[in-house]
Amino acid sequence: MAEADAVLHVPPVEDIGAADVVVGIATHDNRDTACEAVEAILAGVERHLSSRRAVLVHADGGSRDGTPERVREAVGKRIPLVQVSYPVYPVHKLLPPLAGVPGKAEALRATFALAGQLGSAACTLIDANVRGIHPEWVDVLVRPVLEHGFDFVAPRYQRRPFEGTIISGIVFPLVRALYGKRIRQPVGGDQAYSARFIEHCTTEGWDGETSLGTDLRLTLTAIAGEFRICQASLGERVVQAGDAQPDVSAVLAHVLGPLFETVDNTVSFWQRTRGSDAVPVFGSHPEIAGDPAPVNVRRMVESFRLGSQDLQEVWNAILPPATLLEFKKMARRPDEEFRMPDEVWARTIYDFALGYRLRVIDRNHLLRAMTPIYLGWLASFVNEMRDRPERVEERLEALCLVFEAQKRYLISRWRWPDRFRP
Amino acid sequence: MLIQANQIFREAGERIVRGVADFLPGLLALAMVLLITIVLATIARMMIRRSLRGIDFDRRIHQWGLSALTEWSPSGSPALLVAGLAYWFILLVGLLIGLSALNINLTSALVLRLFEYLPNVLAAVLILIVGTLLARFLARGVLISAVNMQIQSARLLSLGVKWLVMVVAGAMALEHLGIGGQIVRMAFGILFGGIVLALALAVGLGSREMVSRSLERQAGKSEEEPEEQLRHL
Repeated sequence: MAEADAVLHVPPVEDIGAADVVVGIATHDNRDTACEAVEAILAGVERHLSSRRAVLVHADGGSRDGTPERVREAVGKRIPLVQVSYPVYPVHKLLPPLAGVPGKAEALRATFALAGQLGSAACTLIDANVRGIHPEWVDVLVRPVLEHGFDFVAPRYQRRPFEGTIISGIVFPLVRALYGKRIRQPVGGDQAYSARFIEHCTTEGWDGETSLGTDLRLTLTAIAGEFRICQASLGERVVQAGDAQPDVSAVLAHVLGPLFETVDNTVSFWQRTRGSDAVPVFGSHPEIAGDPAPVNVRRMVESFRLGSQDLQEVWNAILPPATLLEFKKMARRPDEEFRMPDEVWARTIYDFALGYRLRVIDRNHLLRAMTPIYLGWLASFVNEMRDRPERVEERLEALCLVFEAQKRYLISRWRWPDRFRP
Repeated sequence: MLIQANQIFREAGERIVRGVADFLPGLLALAMVLLITIVLATIARMMIRRSLRGIDFDRRIHQWGLSALTEWSPSGSPALLVAGLAYWFILLVGLLIGLSALNINLTSALVLRLFEYLPNVLAAVLILIVGTLLARFLARGVLISAVNMQIQSARLLSLGVKWLVMVVAGAMALEHLGIGGQIVRMAFGILFGGIVLALALAVGLGSREMVSRSLERQAGKSEEEPEEQLRHL
């Protein structure tokens, strides 16, 4: 049973009239951060969109902590507000609280429908469950659509060295190699869309079980539909202080599940794509900044060794013997000299994508069985870049090129999966 | 006296000949039924094998996550296993029908008992198959989770869970077959308790280091090791 399916506060669209821009926020029990987000968005609208008619759409997933009331108070009469309630199903709430609000696909659907009714030229949806939303975000996200004719704006966030490595070491290189667009944050929560893109999505339909899955699906829809894409450099995205870090294997399963699912559903597109194109960036925040995040390399290498020792039977069903042999060699190296060659890493990701498609073992088991290998790669990456964290971005570029070069391996395995079996 | 003995022997001989004459048609019928059954079973095996190969059954089994069946199959082919099972099932049914054709009270009663017992056997086989698949699934899940939690006795833990489920399934199957009775229940209790104890020891021993590391961290004794605050996403 859905938790909420009633419209909270929708003034007739005729009363609002038309809107140039729809700025949406999605919430689910985010009373504290939602008000901060609204304040920042209103400041951004007043500062950068004063000459345009903007409407704030608040999509709420049945909050019980008074979020809608707090948002209404915060907005007052400063900007037309439309509040809609979207259903959050138990399955959404059972997922680990990683990023975005639960049931984001429904929030987007509601926002897109209102943007269509109001005839807005641009629409953005910002997750209101994070702190540090800056007024500038509204401008950087919406301006490329309004003034430069872009259809889809993906966010870029500033990270510390060695943070966000699931995105930078797996999602970014994989999306870039397979779909040919260098989008740094393919699963970013804060995106902007043109009316043309919204119409396409509304007509074609899309889905996403998780927030990250929804973001990824929209990014790939924009790529596959050959829409004009750019990126907005937003600076730092501060996750709520005190949030417990979910365990790595849950994060991996949460992110890679929708990614591999999409890879399986778009075979004809990515098998045709060659090379990759740069995607323009608006805003000037550096990609990597600050001190390197503290990393315990020893524990990561230990995890890899334990996996190499105990998960042979599971990995054997997914990886070819050559890769397993490489792993055995790597496991024998001392912690400080631990390295995973880029080719091995890229092939491993491709093998797991194929294993996911073939269902060689239960899919959840498969994704979680990747944890020790991921930690091994991360340990290798940190070992290599510890003394020169300022060059992390260059190193990632080299990794991406290897992913692109190894794409042929994925294509041949995809076509003849049994060829690599002993 | 000689005449009487001759009479007795002749009557006995006649009874034997009559008995054999009565028994022969049944025996012939049994042989015929068996022959027909073998032919039918062979044809069925061939057809099932071809049909399953036609739909690429082996690969599909792999895709459905039932790879464990491969290990149990002749030549590593689940299609051959299914065809073989069908062959032997038809043969068994044919044998039972053939035995009933002998028209002997003993065999008829035996066949009746066997037919009555067959559902129990099928239920026991089903329980064993489901139990085995469940045991493998749970064992793999536990193994992966334990390795991800860096528990050193991950393999032992996984093995314990596997045998726990297998023992439950085995005891349930024997219960269905009506074999063992009280002994099975007692053996099950002892084995189950033993495995749980072994698992508790494994977890205790395996997590000893983890707990001590955690306590050390809380006591601030291992400052040289950076606290894991890395955001992977």
